Amino acid sequence: MSPSLYVPGDGPLHRLPAGAKLAALAGLGIALFLVSSPIVLGAAALAAAGVVAATGVRLARMRGALAGIAIVVAIVVAANAWLVGWREAAASGARIVALVLLGYALTLTTRMSDLLATLERLLAPLERIGLADAGKVALAVALVLRFVPELMKQADDIREARAARGLRVGPVALVVPMIVRVLRSADAIAEAIDARAYPPAETDSSRHGPGSADHDNA
Amino acid sequence: MTTRDLVLVALFAALTAALGLVPPITVGFLPVPITLQSLGPMLAGLMLGPRRGGLALALFVLLVALGLPVLAGGRGGFGVLLGPTGGFIVGWVVGAIVVGALAARLGRAGARRAPDLAGAALACVVGGIGAVYALGVPWLAMVTGMGLGPAAASMVVFLPGDAIKVVVAVMVARGVQRAYPIALR
Amino acid sequence: MSIVLNHVSVTLQERPVLRGIDLVLGERRIGIVGLNGSGKSTLARLLNGLVLPDEGTVRVEGLDTRAETRAVRRAVGFVFQNPENQIVFPIVGEDVAFGLRNIGFSKRDAQARALAALAEHGLDGLADRPAHTLSGGEKQMLALVSVLVMEPRIVVLDEPTTALDLRNRNRIRDAIAGLAQTAIVVTHDLELVSGFERVLVVDEGRIVADDAPEPALRWYRENRA
Repeated sequence: MSPSLYVPGDGPLHRLPAGAKLAALAGLGIALFLVSSPIVLGAAALAAAGVVAATGVRLARMRGALAGIAIVVAIVVAANAWLVGWREAAASGARIVALVLLGYALTLTTRMSDLLATLERLLAPLERIGLADAGKVALAVALVLRFVPELMKQADDIREARAARGLRVGPVALVVPMIVRVLRSADAIAEAIDARAYPPAETDSSRHGPGSADHDNA
Repeated sequence: MTTRDLVLVALFAALTAALGLVPPITVGFLPVPITLQSLGPMLAGLMLGPRRGGLALALFVLLVALGLPVLAGGRGGFGVLLGPTGGFIVGWVVGAIVVGALAARLGRAGARRAPDLAGAALACVVGGIGAVYALGVPWLAMVTGMGLGPAAASMVVFLPGDAIKVVVAVMVARGVQRAYPIALR
Repeated sequence: MSIVLNHVSVTLQERPVLRGIDLVLGERRIGIVGLNGSGKSTLARLLNGLVLPDEGTVRVEGLDTRAETRAVRRAVGFVFQNPENQIVFPIVGEDVAFGLRNIGFSKRDAQARALAALAEHGLDGLADRPAHTLSGGEKQMLALVSVLVMEPRIVVLDEPTTALDLRNRNRIRDAIAGLAQTAIVVTHDLELVSGFERVLVVDEGRIVADDAPEPALRWYRENRA
């Protein structure tokens, strides 16, 4: 799995806090649905393109991400033009472009850790009433990032082994061993996590650093 | 939620990501290779049940939102979630929950009896296809301005592939049960 | 630093795995050997509360493993056989810091200590590497370091060398020899524990030999090899 879609940089968008960007995206997204004028939406799409350009991302990197959406937009515009009319087609096409580009700009300029921190803040009220646990979310995210490469390695090994025997691998033959390994290792992984004193104590000392936690280790 | 539950949720989210990053697989008679990623919600629901299965897919969607290229083709980020296919991806969460809830009632795919397999298949159809499309099509219609009818019609072309995936999911669940017949609490 | 097992029995999935175990473990180097299925791995897991006794009690320096599990797990570190399942975070440095975060260190302190621990064991330079790019031997050392960084007073190792080639097995052997704290090693590698102070032989849920390495291993070789 390649690293995240975030592209390091120093522009104004990079420096905006994640929460602000998310709120802006939500607000702009809603606004885009409230407008139906193709001219306004077209301007919005152009503005969104400008925002993406302002992130400093290179065109080559964008191609992969946006090629798919370009095809979809083309199909949608054609379908709408045929079904409803050019005005509609232009408006919806521009709206999709604006939405996708704004979302893309956010992803390009916001670190995963900042998004997670914002999520943690959003979850805080839920945490107080015991409905959520940011620590668990962080651990879960880490576990996924840790094991996706291993799962892919396993998938490659399975496909290679079949290819060496001149066979192609079908989806069942590929996925069953992957799931079996997941189930087998889940117990061991959970044990290892527990053995390292997870979950952390819920008392305040867990927020303040070593403090009393350090004494008996002397 | 035990540590083991947390690990299972994370591993099935990882599996869904890995299934998207594996190249599409040709299946017998279909002209177009199928991507395996939409097996994720079906398998998570079948193997983990509605609660853990739903959480696994919710975690997966969170990863997409965080900007990780875990969607088939190495895609991800808010752009995709807001785009035409966004509803389907979010729909995977509900799909997993529905698959899990129905499979519990209709029959575990682990057994070899035909009624149990049929039950699991039905759960996959209602959850893995029905619920997913129930969220995906309206969002698609809204984003593209297409209207529900045309949006639904445009998705019909994907149904045969999805039907194959239901069969694959049930067969995988059965294969796992045979290879590792420990009950999945 | 001692661990006391008092009339301990463990039943797993309706099978008695350990029966009537009474032990005081106080030596600095203790080996536990036995056939697969003998109960030795369960015995190891009693020592940090991963398995709780169905009968009897296990006390680590007076701490009951059932009632004070968290405190027990800070005192007793556990290294598992397969490092693949022990490394939990995608980046090496983060994984080492994980245990420290759990026992209350701030992110910054945990990071600093993690880096220091990696350097101390010759793994500096690996801190920013993705875990999946490490070799098998590096992963096992990483698993060991991520436990040692929590400064436990006892380290239990469950078959630490079984999955390793000779060179990495020697690295782990040297690392164990160099441990300042008590080490209790469950293993099939009899040579690994031949220099220890005490070796226990577990067989069908009971301790059938408990002696200095030479006589205990001799019994094992003569009766169970």
